[in-house]
Amino acid sequence: MIRRAIPALIPLVVVTAAAELAVRYGLVKSYLLPAPSSVLRALIESRGELFGALLTTSTSALVGFLLSTAIGIAIAVFLSSSRAIQRAFYPYAVFFQTVPIIAIAPLLVIWFGYGMRTVVASAFVVSIFPVIANTLSGILSTEPALRDLFRLYGASTFTTLWKLRFPAALPQILTGLRVASGLAVIGAIVGEFIGGQGLGSVVDVARTQQRVDKVFAAVLLASVLGLALFGLINLVSYVTLRRWHASEQ
Amino acid sequence: MNRRTFVFTGGAALLAACGKAPGKTRLALNWKPDPQFGGFYAAPYQAHGLDVEILPGGAGTPTIQMVGAGSAEFGVVSADELVVARSQGNDVVALFAVFQQNPQGIMVHASRKLTSLADLLKSGGTLAIQRGLPYARLLEKQYGFGKVKVVPSPGGDISAFLADKNFAQQCFIVSEPLTAKHQGADVQVFPVSDTGYNPYTTVLATSDDYLRQNPDRAKAMVAAVREGWRAYLDDPKPTNQRMNQLNPSMAPEVFAEVADAQKPLIEIAGTPLGSMTKERWEMLIAQLKELGDIQKAPSAADCFRNL
Repeated sequence: MIRRAIPALIPLVVVTAAAELAVRYGLVKSYLLPAPSSVLRALIESRGELFGALLTTSTSALVGFLLSTAIGIAIAVFLSSSRAIQRAFYPYAVFFQTVPIIAIAPLLVIWFGYGMRTVVASAFVVSIFPVIANTLSGILSTEPALRDLFRLYGASTFTTLWKLRFPAALPQILTGLRVASGLAVIGAIVGEFIGGQGLGSVVDVARTQQRVDKVFAAVLLASVLGLALFGLINLVSYVTLRRWHASEQ
Repeated sequence: MNRRTFVFTGGAALLAACGKAPGKTRLALNWKPDPQFGGFYAAPYQAHGLDVEILPGGAGTPTIQMVGAGSAEFGVVSADELVVARSQGNDVVALFAVFQQNPQGIMVHASRKLTSLADLLKSGGTLAIQRGLPYARLLEKQYGFGKVKVVPSPGGDISAFLADKNFAQQCFIVSEPLTAKHQGADVQVFPVSDTGYNPYTTVLATSDDYLRQNPDRAKAMVAAVREGWRAYLDDPKPTNQRMNQLNPSMAPEVFAEVADAQKPLIEIAGTPLGSMTKERWEMLIAQLKELGDIQKAPSAADCFRNL
């Protein structure tokens, strides 16, 4: 385990040390890029506030992500049911991918009010598209030979979906979820800028106060959250795929 | 205008990396072209031997960092953010203060019949304010935020205000309230200066380094800006037309009204346009120290120059 973590730690150490030295020796002004040591200090000094905010953001991001997962997969299954339906509705799903969340965020506040619902909605809107796209593509690329086999045995549409198409699509669905997990964190934080809570709010206040160190501390926690979600999906992926799919063997 | 001045460092670093046309002097604004910048657009830069490029900003334009990093020679900042910047080693210096009176305020619906900021904070409802701003914390300290629901400021957007009678929001006292009136709202405004917090706002600033290396240019800039403001205060019409083309989101009649309404905050009898006093800076520094916004207080004399 430790040996596997080493390659990932090397860039971290190198970049952190380089940033620290650059600020210490005055190559970069500390009000433009904070020294990693001052970020750490901010993290410790404001730990109560920051970790409370992390918890709030995590909840919203997770709820938004789970909604994206459930609704995204449902939409993809619906789209996969026929070519005509796909042609009719798929273009509208693309809407979710291109919607500039910053532009509609103030509207979200008017629709959902200040607080968690707006944040969840923002996380949901930005993270659903990769779930739809990857799930759909996974469902549609079931091996024809296997499909024929199911038909030969007279399996119902539902059985084919549940026992064949869905499991066969899992690797792609999980890829979609990996992408969506990071987007959900971004969406939550953008939502928080407008909706007002969690890490987004901390970042907003800290940058108004020119506390670059605290901004970075909050951003660091946001990436930890993203990493945790990513790890969770990898775990799910390992558990579900390890027995049959090359990617987890 | 610090509510709009989100400090976003990455942006500043990125902008610092961008090139610029040779010979040009850049002036970074922290909001879209509107009457609070009228004098900057009216200024006869060429007559003073300057080729000035005005960079309009928006929510989050980090002018103070841009000036510190040299990605703009001059920028529009507010006095309080300048003090905070100096206390952190970003040595920016104020040269010309457009607003002598703090134009920031809180607007409410007149139907609530509130009498003061204290009354507002006691009476509940929603208050949209940027909590990072010093005056937000001053209000919190003086009156407490326990009774109101505090939400982020929507910038210049007033749709939430219009939709909710119990919604109060931070504003420029000469700007959003006028827009709201035009949309049929009955607006009442409480100036933040009522609390005794009265920093110079819409302040032309440059870096200590630039001022040291280009004293003549800085002087020429201030002279041009002062003439520009004189001209704009006397007749804002031609400049308003130009700014309106750059910023069509504000109606022409609102441009005219704002230009008129802001006059008493800019021109104070007995004070030359734009000039600043050490006492005002000292008072601001003391207030920021007490609020905990700065750890070590910069010297008031270093914060500004009357050129």
